[in-house]
Amino acid sequence: MELIAEHPVLDLSYFKREERVWFTFDGVAMEGFKGAPIAAALHANGVRVYRETPNMKRPRGFFCAIGKCSSCFMVVDGIPNVRTCVTPLAAGMKVETQRGKGRALIAPIISE
Amino acid sequence: MEWKDRADVVIIGGGIVGIATAYYLARFGRHDVVVVEKGTVCSGSTGRCGAGIRAQWGTEMNCRLGIAALDIFENLDAELGMSVGLNQGGYLLIAYSDSEFENLKKGIALQNGLGIKSKTVTLSEAREICPALDASDATGFVYHARDGHADPFLTAFAYLEAAKRIGVSYHKRTECTGITVKGGRATGIDTSRGHIDADVVINCSGACSQIVAKFAGVDLPNWGERHEIMITEPVEAGVCPPMLMSFSGNYYIQQRPHGSIICGMSPAGHPQDFENKTTWQFITAMSRVLNRILPVTKEIRIVRHWAGLYDMTPDGSPIIGETDVKNFYHSTGYSGHGFMLSPIAGKVLAQQLTGNTPDIDLSVLDYRRFARGELIMEPHIT
Repeated sequence: MELIAEHPVLDLSYFKREERVWFTFDGVAMEGFKGAPIAAALHANGVRVYRETPNMKRPRGFFCAIGKCSSCFMVVDGIPNVRTCVTPLAAGMKVETQRGKGRALIAPIISE
Repeated sequence: MEWKDRADVVIIGGGIVGIATAYYLARFGRHDVVVVEKGTVCSGSTGRCGAGIRAQWGTEMNCRLGIAALDIFENLDAELGMSVGLNQGGYLLIAYSDSEFENLKKGIALQNGLGIKSKTVTLSEAREICPALDASDATGFVYHARDGHADPFLTAFAYLEAAKRIGVSYHKRTECTGITVKGGRATGIDTSRGHIDADVVINCSGACSQIVAKFAGVDLPNWGERHEIMITEPVEAGVCPPMLMSFSGNYYIQQRPHGSIICGMSPAGHPQDFENKTTWQFITAMSRVLNRILPVTKEIRIVRHWAGLYDMTPDGSPIIGETDVKNFYHSTGYSGHGFMLSPIAGKVLAQQLTGNTPDIDLSVLDYRRFARGELIMEPHIT
């Protein structure tokens, strides 16, 4: 595992490297520390490409790592444009590579 | 651009109204046109607007202007030689009470008589037009498919570049500081860069138009009303294909071709101070409305928020035409709809000033209607 231990801006002390949880990345089961940034858990599992740019289809991965740059946007549990560098990992999360701008979920509207 | 101290026509205000007027003047044969703009292209209300284009109005004059503007917008890419970003997803107007729905239906009767194919739609039809819409509390919906939105920046730029190619001069960072009147006639203007003599002076200065009119001793009843607006990060198309709008619900919402969602609402009690300041109260209130009408937007982030000035008149209708000062014209008072009406307003004023028969008779939009008490109250505005 290649874990980022220290970061000049982010305070990573908010999660303890104690509880390991399972999540999936594009359907592949992976293990990470609960509460760690999703992007850090992916990095530790050797995943470097998080999304594809909408027009040029170029790969994007970790960049600013502080929630500012949009480079690490991914689809997490169906929600697009999640800033995985500042979003904590939880057990059972479904993390997917984001292609394009992300599709907002159109929930069924029941009332007629 | 080279400075000239004499021009045939000088236009005060280089927003979309001034630029479009300059373009049509040159196209109809008056090429020696100078536009002075105190900021830069789209730095005023044009670049701050909600970009909507509609023909669904409650007065005959606005209906005529609206449908004629749509006719122009539909052919504007070819005419100006570049895309203006027209997107005809329609305007879906939502009523929240029976009386409001009745008023919208009266509007439809008027519009249909003028060739505007607006109609009522059912809730399920409304959801076909806008699948993410949650309007279970609505009373009724009306829709006009040819309405929509365009890109104000591209439109202004396209008109300006086309105008420059046929002789128009555009001076940014040049503020009008006075109007010269001799013997009851406007003969030129003073600017921060010097005097310009002109045969015709046109006031297209939007929310500043009453200040500019005063330079020539003309009193206009306009005022600048601050409106706030916000935009989200881009998501895939389909969240809001039409322009959603409600007068009583107090909102308009649209999705740009790029994927961002733009939404705005009418303000509560901003001072008339010509400031473009923004407030947290707007973001809070607007977000609540957006999430209620389009629940799908809940996870979408706001990326920008700004304000601009509506150039309001007491009846919500524009002021177009000559004044008591000869050769001094107005094209102002669009009350928040200057972008959508600018193609036809510019064209018709240019037709008047080049001896051509105007497409539409604008005489009722004379500013003296306020003194006469002949207001043209526009009900279809927020």
